[in-house]
Amino acid sequence: MGDIILTMKGINKSFPGVRALNNVDFELYKGEVHALMGENGAGKSTLMKVLTGIYKKDSGTITYDGKVVEFANPREAQQAGIVIVHQELNMLGHLTVAQNIFIGREFMKGIKIDDDRMNVEAAKLFNRLNINIDPTEKMSNLTVGKQQMCEIAKAISHDAKIIVFDEPTAALTESEVNELFEIIRDLKKKDIGIVYITHRMDEIKLITDRVSVMRDGAYVGTLISKDSTKNDIISMMVGRVIYEEPKTESKVPKDAPVVLKVENLNAGKSVKDVSFELYKGEILGFSGLMGAGRTETAKAIIGADPKESGDIYINGKKVEIKSPEDAVKYGIGYLSEDRKRYGLMLQRNVAENSTIANLENFLNGIFIDTKKENKETEKYVESLAIKTPGIDQLIVNLSGGNQQKVILTKWLVRNCDILIFDEPTRGIDVGAKSDIYKLMNELVKAGKSIIMISSELPEILRMSDRIIVMCEGRKSGELRIEEASQEKIMHLATMGN
Amino acid sequence: MFRIKQNPLLAKKLGFNRIVLLLVLIAMYCFFAIFAKNFVSYNRLLSAMNYAYFLGFLSLGVTFVIATGGIDFSIGPVMFCAAIMSGYLLTHYHWPLWLCLITSILIGAMYGTLNGYLVAYKSVPSFITSMAIMQMSKGVASVFTKAQSVSWPQLAQENGWYRNLIKTKVGNVYIPVGMIILVVVAIICAIILNKTKIGRYLLALGSNKEAVWLSGVNVKKWEMLAYIICGTLAGIAAIFFVAAYTTVQPGYGDQYNNEAIAGCVMGGTSMGGGLASISGTFIGVMIISILQEGVLAIGLNKNYQLVITGIIVIVAVYIDVISRKRKY
Repeated sequence: MGDIILTMKGINKSFPGVRALNNVDFELYKGEVHALMGENGAGKSTLMKVLTGIYKKDSGTITYDGKVVEFANPREAQQAGIVIVHQELNMLGHLTVAQNIFIGREFMKGIKIDDDRMNVEAAKLFNRLNINIDPTEKMSNLTVGKQQMCEIAKAISHDAKIIVFDEPTAALTESEVNELFEIIRDLKKKDIGIVYITHRMDEIKLITDRVSVMRDGAYVGTLISKDSTKNDIISMMVGRVIYEEPKTESKVPKDAPVVLKVENLNAGKSVKDVSFELYKGEILGFSGLMGAGRTETAKAIIGADPKESGDIYINGKKVEIKSPEDAVKYGIGYLSEDRKRYGLMLQRNVAENSTIANLENFLNGIFIDTKKENKETEKYVESLAIKTPGIDQLIVNLSGGNQQKVILTKWLVRNCDILIFDEPTRGIDVGAKSDIYKLMNELVKAGKSIIMISSELPEILRMSDRIIVMCEGRKSGELRIEEASQEKIMHLATMGN
Repeated sequence: MFRIKQNPLLAKKLGFNRIVLLLVLIAMYCFFAIFAKNFVSYNRLLSAMNYAYFLGFLSLGVTFVIATGGIDFSIGPVMFCAAIMSGYLLTHYHWPLWLCLITSILIGAMYGTLNGYLVAYKSVPSFITSMAIMQMSKGVASVFTKAQSVSWPQLAQENGWYRNLIKTKVGNVYIPVGMIILVVVAIICAIILNKTKIGRYLLALGSNKEAVWLSGVNVKKWEMLAYIICGTLAGIAAIFFVAAYTTVQPGYGDQYNNEAIAGCVMGGTSMGGGLASISGTFIGVMIISILQEGVLAIGLNKNYQLVITGIIVIVAVYIDVISRKRKY
């Protein structure tokens, strides 16, 4: 290993209501592959975004190549030699490989783009990396793995000294992964520092030299990869003090009937052969890493995304759900993880947002029975302690937690028997969080059944009666709450291939 | 009445906007009263209202579409197409007048249905579909009449009574029947938009279509309905256009799209969808109508009216954009 190329010290970054980075330190040597690990929301991506100028840090210093730097935008970082290879590739499918690599800085011949020279230069780059790609090939004809290699070639062409890989293997096949690792080893020899964000434990030993772990926006520690075990890393990742008392045993009666049964559900790339059952009065936790296919499973069940195959039974009867309209008719309500995009009607008021899923119930002919609507809404505003000046307040003026309660109200007004809560407490304050937990417990006591998708392990362990863990679109395991632990869940969630 | 206390943002957005707009209308009338000769007269006002009636129906209609977050650029030519085709049936095929009036409304409704179907069920952007239908309706009208203009009968002629829909002489006084009808239709529109499930769903899906869809609402059906309402009102507008001006020429009508949308946007209906005001649209239409009459009265040509309308729209939309920025 060479000299230090990058030191980040005492980095702080806050977003409204969230401390995303709390005094984080990070260090990278030349020619080192340094893994950055942590749960979803631990702050890995935020840290890298601060490094590359996408976010502005609140405080702390970044020393790069011996100088204190602060990049105003990704372009400046790129020019200085720090490049990110994003998980989602930013390639233009209709252009050729060479055109993509040199986009924005094309070689010119007068006013004409010099495609020949770009092809030659691209070929040189590929040679340096021992990659076999034709520069004149159309980008859309390449596999995801090859496209990623083009992205790497593009990074190299910027004379990168640091390359950040954000979960590079998430979309690759096994042989492509091996090819990628070859390239990374090659980059190491060229003294390039590599930050490697990943969720896959098995890759740590294979490719990385050191691993740094983050948790809840804070730096936990750094281990030498070859001397550490998977268990060391997992316990660093999840080893927070758990304030919430985890559930110790299921509260569901042994003879509870199955209200929802999903069999061999397949939908797109991210839901493969998922089967499970949901019992009456149960909170079924869905755990897994980002992109494990949990939200996609929910969306396929409610008919928001098309499904290729699979059967859904409600109370033992097979049902056809082709759209959310059908799902709601069958008594399934879905609370989205993305409140703003899929939940709120920002320009409309609290009452309108509360009754939209069950408007038919508040009608007098075609006229809306405002009195009935207001009465019902006020009932929930009171019982859920929704903080609003009035039910005719526009929902955009409410805080995140109260907005979330209003969307919950929507499904309570509809009186759904099966509720799918996707990250129900994301981005809301502690008080509202515990209100929502309380509400969920009351709902199951009243005989409703809840599927709770959550990326927060303590939340899963605190609320669930049973836990399903997903990994890469498949159900990788099922745990009773009595046997579940953070470590077990993480093992199942990172099974990888 | 404007719910200023409970609801500062809504009051600011719609109430405040409408008060300002009303002041603009009064100021504009006063301006022309001072600078244009003989502007303050009942007959002048009636003449200005000739313009307000058909434009009012167009503008009310497009308010529903804009409330859903869409746009309709076809209403002007569709109005012309309806007026031309039903007028041709009246004058060349001697259909009874009442049937021609109904046909006019149905033609408007038909175009609205086609537009709404493509937007709601086939996910074609409303910008594109309405542009296409604009061209189509112009072409259909031209083909139907072999590119000739159509003149509806005068009041004294046979079948001329429809012109009483604008104003009717009772004794020595003209009763502005058109205004009465426009106000009644506007009130019905306001009730539909604010008090019924139709309006609730339209505004809801204009605010967040995905969320409403996930709430189990058949968003396609409701979105299509907005375009049908819009087209139907364009068909009604056709009747009031010919009642005012009798002659219609195929291949025109585009400029009324812009004025109808301008009236709507001025009135505080948000181009992003989810917020709409019928009373605002009504005042917006009055402003444009008084403006066009005043510009003529002052001795300037119509082009000045276009310039001033353009400026008012830019200011109105700018206010809309600013108030939205503050929100997010």
